Amino acid sequence: MSPLDYLMIAIRVAFSAFVPLCFVAVCVWMERRGAGYFQDRSGPNRAGIFGFRAAGLVQNLADGLKLAFKEDIISQHIKHKFFFVLAPVIVFFTAVVSFAVVPYADTLVLNGKSYMMQGIPVDLGILWFIALAGFSVYGIILAGWSSSNKYGILGSLRSAAQVISYEIPMGLAIVSLLIVYGTVSLNEMAQFQGKLLFGFIPMWGAVLQPVGMVIFIIAAFAECNRTPFDLAEGESEIVAGFHVEYSAMKFAIFFMGEYVAMFASSSIIVTLFFGGYQIPFLSTATLLNWAKPVAFLLMIALPVVMYFFAGWIRRSNVSHYPRENDPRVFEANVYIKCFWGLIVILELVLLAILFSPSGGAAASIFVALLQICTLLLKVTMMIFVFIWVRWTLPRFRYDQLQKLGWQMLLPLALLNIFITSAVVVALS
Amino acid sequence: MADKIKLFVNGVEVEVEAGKNLIDAVGAVGIEIPHLCYHPALGADGNCRMCLVGIEDGRPPLVPACKTPAQEGMKVLLDAEHIKKIQHDVMEFELINHPTDCPVCDQAGECKLQDYYMSYDHAKSRMNVPQVVKGKKMDFGAGVVHDQERCVVCGRCVRFCRQITKTGELGIINRTDDARVNIFPGRPLANRYAINVVDLCPVGAMTSKDFRFKQRVWFLKKAPGICHGCSKGCNITIDHNREKYKDDIIYRFRPRLNEQVNGYFMCDEGRLSYKKENEGRLTEARLGTKVRPIDDVLAACSKEMEQAAKIAILLSPNCSLEQMVTVQALAEKIGAALSGYSEGYIKTGDGDDYLIQDDKSANRAGLNLLGIDSSKEGFEKAVQEASLLLNFNNDLTLSYQENELTKLLKDTKIVAVAAAANQCTAMADMAIPVASFSEYAGTLINCDNILQHFAKAITKNEDLADICTIAARLGSPLQNDNERYSVLQKCISALKEFGVDQIPAEGLNLKKSEAANVTA
Amino acid sequence: MGATVKTIERKGSSLIERLYLIEIFKGMATTFGHLWRNLADNRRLYVRHYPEVQPEIPVRWRGRHRLTTHPDNTVKCVACFMCQTNCPANCIMIEAGERLDGKAEKMPVKFNIDLLECIYCGYCVEACPVDAIRMDTGIFSVTGNKKESFVLGLEELLTTPGAFSEEEYKKGGA
Repeated sequence: MSPLDYLMIAIRVAFSAFVPLCFVAVCVWMERRGAGYFQDRSGPNRAGIFGFRAAGLVQNLADGLKLAFKEDIISQHIKHKFFFVLAPVIVFFTAVVSFAVVPYADTLVLNGKSYMMQGIPVDLGILWFIALAGFSVYGIILAGWSSSNKYGILGSLRSAAQVISYEIPMGLAIVSLLIVYGTVSLNEMAQFQGKLLFGFIPMWGAVLQPVGMVIFIIAAFAECNRTPFDLAEGESEIVAGFHVEYSAMKFAIFFMGEYVAMFASSSIIVTLFFGGYQIPFLSTATLLNWAKPVAFLLMIALPVVMYFFAGWIRRSNVSHYPRENDPRVFEANVYIKCFWGLIVILELVLLAILFSPSGGAAASIFVALLQICTLLLKVTMMIFVFIWVRWTLPRFRYDQLQKLGWQMLLPLALLNIFITSAVVVALS
Repeated sequence: MADKIKLFVNGVEVEVEAGKNLIDAVGAVGIEIPHLCYHPALGADGNCRMCLVGIEDGRPPLVPACKTPAQEGMKVLLDAEHIKKIQHDVMEFELINHPTDCPVCDQAGECKLQDYYMSYDHAKSRMNVPQVVKGKKMDFGAGVVHDQERCVVCGRCVRFCRQITKTGELGIINRTDDARVNIFPGRPLANRYAINVVDLCPVGAMTSKDFRFKQRVWFLKKAPGICHGCSKGCNITIDHNREKYKDDIIYRFRPRLNEQVNGYFMCDEGRLSYKKENEGRLTEARLGTKVRPIDDVLAACSKEMEQAAKIAILLSPNCSLEQMVTVQALAEKIGAALSGYSEGYIKTGDGDDYLIQDDKSANRAGLNLLGIDSSKEGFEKAVQEASLLLNFNNDLTLSYQENELTKLLKDTKIVAVAAAANQCTAMADMAIPVASFSEYAGTLINCDNILQHFAKAITKNEDLADICTIAARLGSPLQNDNERYSVLQKCISALKEFGVDQIPAEGLNLKKSEAANVTA
Repeated sequence: MGATVKTIERKGSSLIERLYLIEIFKGMATTFGHLWRNLADNRRLYVRHYPEVQPEIPVRWRGRHRLTTHPDNTVKCVACFMCQTNCPANCIMIEAGERLDGKAEKMPVKFNIDLLECIYCGYCVEACPVDAIRMDTGIFSVTGNKKESFVLGLEELLTTPGAFSEEEYKKGGA
C-alpha cells in the first residue's frame, strides 16, 4: 500500500464520518429557521457572538453548549442503566454508519489505481442500509423500555409497530428498483443513472420507478420517525415518547441521531432515485473530457451568483425597527466580504485547474469534488423536503398510519414489482 | 317522645312536636323562620320582630313566632307578600345604622345579618343622613371585644349574663337609635363563661380577642370533638384549617349542642385549651439526648423492657378507654404494675355547679371503671420496686414538686410517651411523641357517667401515632381497634348492643349498676 | 325559535382527495409560498421584534399585581381575604393584623403572592371591595433565579407603581 492509499482511506472515512455530523448543525438550522419562515415568523435568530449571529447558526452552538453542560440525570427508578445508556448510542451509531456505503463521487482513478469514493468500500450497498435502518429501531425500543416510563414504553411500542409496517413496503420498493438496475451496489446504481433515456432524459430512478420512489420516500420518512410519522415522540400525546427520561447529552445524542438518520436517508434517496452524485447530462466521462470548459463556466457563474446573493444578504440582514447606526448592516458587510473572499479563493482554484495539464490527476480530483458538491446539494434539497413536509403535514393517527402502510403501500409495492418485472422481461 | 301535632305552613301540612314555640317546632322539620333575638337557651324576648309570621284566620293575624306555641291546625304564613314585606322592612331597619364593614368583620361568613340580607332584603340602603356613631373595638374584658355599631340590640348577651351566669355585667343603655350594649363603668365581663356571648351574638358585635383576625371563618374546617379540659367532657366543634405550605392548625373550639352534657355552652378555659394542641407539643422521639427516628426509640424501649426485672406503667386519666385497655393488656402481659395515679389533676374548689369541674382530667371514671389502681401508695410502691417506668402521657409534675419527683425516680429509667413537652419528658431517658386528643378517635366517660365517643378531627402533615399504637408496638396483645372495642364491650355491659359507630351522638348514659361499679 | 343550523360540507371523500398525495402537494405548495415570500423579503414576517420592540400594554391588560395605597402611602388593603378566597390558583397568602392608625380595623401583616402559581385571571382585582389590589403595573415578564424570588411580599407589592393614570385606569372599565 502506498502512502496515497492510506491518505485516501483516511479522507474517505473522515468524509463519511464528519459530513453527516456537520450536516446536523445545518439540518437543525434549516429546520428551525425554515419552520419559522414556513409559519411567517423568524425562528431563532438572536444568539450571537459579538453581534455576529450567522443567520441563527450561533443558536446551535449555544444549544450544544447548553446540552453538554446540563446535568445528566439517570432517574432512580431506572433499573437497567446499561441499556438506558446504550440506547442513544445505538440510534446514533447506526445512523452514522448507514451513510458509509453511499458513494459521493464516481470511482476516482489516481496513478492508475481506482478508489471507490465511499466510507466503507464494499458492494453491499442498499442491503447495508436496510439492515442498519432496521437495527436503529432497537435503540428506540430499548430507550422506551429501559426508561420504565409509560410514555416511553408507548413511544417505543408505536415505533416498533411502525417500523415493521413500513420496512416491508420499503423493501418491496427496493426489489422493483433492483430489477431495473440489476445490482445492489449503490455506486453501480449511480453510474447507471448517468445514462440518458431516449437520449435526452437522465435515466434517474425517479423517472424509471416513480411509484417505487413515492413508496420509498414515504417509508423513509417513517424510518426516520419524522412527521407525519413521528408517533414515537408524539409530544402532544405521550410527552416525548421514548426519550422522555433522557436529558442533557444523552438526549442530544438522540436528537443528533435523528438528524444524521435524516441525512443518511436523504443521501440514499438521492442515490437511488435522483442520480446520486451525477450531474444531469454530464456523465463522469463527459466531465473528465470537458473539465476545463466546465471550470471556465463556473468561473463566470460564481461571481454572478455571489452578486445576487450579496444583494439578498444586504436586504435581509438589517434590523426591522428604527435603530441608529444599525450594527446589522456592518454585520452584513462583513459576511459579504467573507463570501467574496471565498469566491476569490475558488476562482484561483478553478484558474489553477484551467492551466493544469489536461488529462492529469487535477481533472479527476476536480470532477470528484464537483460530484461531491452535487451530491451534497441534492441531499440538502432532500433534507429540505423532509423539513418542508414536517411543517406542512400533521401527525398521522395510529390507525391511519397502519392503514396507509398495509392497505395502500404494500399492495402498491407488490403491483409495482409485477409491472416492473413484466416491462423488464418484455424489453430484454 | 313528645306528642305530635299537625299544622300548616304555607298551606302544606307538617307534623311537629307539641309544646314548643313556632321557631323550634317548625325549625325541627327544616323550615326556617328568621330570628335574631330568640335563642333556645335564653328563651324568647320578642324584641327583634324578625320572626313575625302570619296566622291565617287567627286573632291576632300577625304574631312573633318565638312567643307563639305551636298548636294543632294552626295555619302559618311565611311566604305571603305582607310577611315578606315585614321581613324586608325589619332587615332595612336593622341595617340603617349598621356600618357594613363585613370585609374587616370576623363574623362575616357566619353572620345572621348577612344571611338574612341575602335571603330577605337584598336592597340598597335608602339612608341619606349620617349614621349614628357609636363605640368600636371596646374591650369588655375576658377576651371579648365589642363593636356597638354592628350591634342589632337583640340582647342575647345581656340575657346570657343575667340568666346563665347570673353575673349581669352587661346591659343596654340609652334609647332608640342610640341604644347600645355596654358594661358598667370599671366593671368588665368577669365570668368564666364570658366568651359564649361571642357565639351567641348573631352579628359581629361581639368578637373574640383570641380569634380576632386569625382566620376568615369560611376557610375553617369543622370537626366534632370533645373537650379534654375537665371531666365534664363538653362537646365541641374543632375549627381547624391547613393553610398552604403549613400544617393543620386548630384555630378555635366552639361549644356543640348536647343537652345531656353541656347544653349550648362551654367554659372559657376549655375554649382556649385548643392552644395546647398547637403549641408545646412533643414532636421528636428522643433517645438519651439524641433525636432519633421513632422506630429506633421504640426498639430501644422494647430492649429495655426485656432486660428490666420489674416494670411500672403509669397511665394518664386523660387517655381514652381504648388506650387504657390496650395499656392494661400490655401491663398484664409483661407483669408490670399499672397505676393511674393523678392526684395533681384535681384542683379542689375550682369547679362550679354549672359546667366546670374540679377534676381536670377527661376520663377518670374510665380509669376507675377498668379497675386501675390510682392510689398514691400503690404508685410509689410500684416505682420503688421497678427499674423501668413507662409513663403514658401522665404529667407527674402536677402531682409532685420537682425535688420530690427527682427523689422518687432517681433509680428508675423513665420512658415518657407524651403528647406535650414538659418537665416529665425532659427528665425521661426516652421520649416518644404521641397524638393528642384532636388527632385520634376514642371513648370517654365523663363525671356524670355519660359515655361519649369522638372521632379523629385533625390529620397533621406528619401524623403521630396514638398511645394505642405505641402500646401495641411495645407488645400489647390488643393490636387493632376491633379487639380493643370488644374488650370494652366486655367491661361495659351497656356497650354490648352498640357498635363503635352506633354510640349515640349525645352520649350513652351508663346504667345504675355500671355507675355503682364506677364508684366502687 | 329554532337554532340556525349550518351544514358544513364534509371534505376528503372525492377520489383525488383520497389519493392523499395530490392534496399533500397542494398543502406543500401553500407552505412553500409562505417560505418563499419570507425568504425573499423578511420584513414581511408577522412578528414583533421583541425584546427590542416592546409591546404596547393596554389599560385592561392584566400584568403583575400591586397593592394600592392611600394618599399618605399607607396600605389600602383591609385584609378581608376576598382575593385569597376567590383565587382559583390559591396563590395569595395573607396574614391579618390589627390596624392602629384609625383608617380601618384590620390590615395585612403579610401579603404574599406566589407568581409561579398565579394564573393572572384577575379575580383578585374583581373581588377586592376597596380597590386595594390591581394588575395595572404593565409588567408582563417576571424573571428570577430562585423559586423564592417569585413570591412577592407586601413591600414589593406596595412599592410597584401603576403604569397608568387614575383616569386612564377608570376609563379602562375597572
